Amino acid sequence: MGRVFGHLFMALAAIVVALPIVIVCSAALNGGRTMFFPPQDPTLARFGEFFFSEPVWTRALSNSVIVALGSATLAVLMAWPIAYALWKTGSRQSAMLAGLGSIPFALPPIVFGVGLGFFWSFLGGLGSIWAGIISHAVLFLALPLVTISIGLQAVDRAHLDAAATMGATEGVTFRTIILPQTLPYTISGFFFALVLSFNEFIVMFFVSASAFSTVTLQIFNSLRNGYTPTMAVAAVAFITVSIIVFSAVARWGDLPRLMGADQSRN
Amino acid sequence: MTVAAQIGPMAEVPPALRWGAVVNLLLWAIALLLCLVPFGLVLLISFGHKVEGAGWDWAFSSENYLRFFVGANWPAETTSLYLGQLYWSMRYAVVAAVLAVVTALPFTYLMTRQSRRAQARWLVFLLATLSLSEVFIVMGWDIILSNNSGLPMLFAASGVTDWLKDTGWFDVLRDWGLANPRNVKFKTSEFATVLTLSYLVWPYAVILLYPALSRLDPSLAEAARTMGARPWTVARTVILPAVRLPLMGTTLLLFVFLLGAYVAITVFADPSQHTTAVSIYENVRGSTLNAPFGAAQSVVLLVAAGAFLVLGQRLSRKSQGGA
Repeated sequence: MGRVFGHLFMALAAIVVALPIVIVCSAALNGGRTMFFPPQDPTLARFGEFFFSEPVWTRALSNSVIVALGSATLAVLMAWPIAYALWKTGSRQSAMLAGLGSIPFALPPIVFGVGLGFFWSFLGGLGSIWAGIISHAVLFLALPLVTISIGLQAVDRAHLDAAATMGATEGVTFRTIILPQTLPYTISGFFFALVLSFNEFIVMFFVSASAFSTVTLQIFNSLRNGYTPTMAVAAVAFITVSIIVFSAVARWGDLPRLMGADQSRN
Repeated sequence: MTVAAQIGPMAEVPPALRWGAVVNLLLWAIALLLCLVPFGLVLLISFGHKVEGAGWDWAFSSENYLRFFVGANWPAETTSLYLGQLYWSMRYAVVAAVLAVVTALPFTYLMTRQSRRAQARWLVFLLATLSLSEVFIVMGWDIILSNNSGLPMLFAASGVTDWLKDTGWFDVLRDWGLANPRNVKFKTSEFATVLTLSYLVWPYAVILLYPALSRLDPSLAEAARTMGARPWTVARTVILPAVRLPLMGTTLLLFVFLLGAYVAITVFADPSQHTTAVSIYENVRGSTLNAPFGAAQSVVLLVAAGAFLVLGQRLSRKSQGGA
């Protein structure tokens, strides 16, 4: 009885969570210019518009991809030495650095966005795409920082001891043991930052200063003029990317562990 | 101390050490510049002064804060417009965060009792919805709740509206602001706002509660069950006390996250019930253009968020110490 009730509750939760997403995605099939549910005159023409023929969307999409790939790479490159120093030394100073790097992610993004808007206008980067890349890298630095730290804690101490006994230098140990063993966690961190950067818009709104737009910005800007089915195509594309990415993380990494599950139980 | 930790520093050669120091210094510079300076600028500019038609100027005046707390024309008159907006920020955030945590708790508990594979599948599903941009989520709920499509149309077509009118519930809904003379309506309403906000953070609630619940020893609940406790009693006396602190920590984090919510508020909330985040946006990039005042509002929001974050951190540290 309790089990049945539990399954029912979980199913209900899944339905509610999926509901708005399913509705947006199905609206992508609409033949006309208006969003209807259920879709009228279903067609796949909107997909062609979004990915190939409408310059507004193709440009926004390429901007989104550039910002997401660039910022995720940058975030991982900054997170690695910070996480490594924290794991290696455990010093107060490295803990402070890690804490500092997590501040932007923890505070309301609208405030960070306003601050970055001022910051880049002083440095002259306002409205340039590299400023957008750096801004997102800093905003999502906390994610690879956390996953890499979890990965470093999982490095087998026995291997490190063995390497040290056999006279391996720090560089060799790093290359042959630490890096391979933490690779899945590094990749997970990269993907978390990538997907969130793809979907973020409020910080990008202040940093871009309407000089360029990403897909989410483009949608956000036209939010008040009403929706078009092409926007729903964007939603389909984004949710597809997210599911592929997180499935990959679950397949090749240990997703429950990354999310903080207990190791001893299966 | 492991052998590696003892040998490690000795095996290091000076050039590597110097390299490490350079990287370290560089990282500190980057972190300070990009993680702290933007917030510092917001603070500095919040004391600035608006120049009509020409942006703003550096200054050291408290006019923006005065305007926020007592209104621009103080002491002649006091307005609490901006305090009212902060109140709505907090109200939406509290209600939506509590709602999300209360519904996510049983879900997460049930999820952690499943196999590791099933858990991974749920996590993929939740992470995918969690990362989906606020604009898409709002779009989805907007289609569901708007008056010309979605639920109100469904209610009218299926006869639920007539049934509500017959039974007298319709008048109750009108009192709650959820109906116009002809049909139910959800836009604009506090109900729709809180529902969407709560939906936005629900996957976060599950992810944040997941570690604590997955570490919960199942034998405790089993022991209580064997001794004849009913499921509800087990939940109340065994599970809830064990996750009390993570529960509060999660609620606080969601609360802080929701303080900055923007799109959902502009779409679903009545203009008289808009929040500080909306006002910040209007002042910095929107129609009113008063960057120093927007910065001052950001500082107030930041102080509120920071206070709750520190509280949350203290709670979570306490919970880790107690475990």
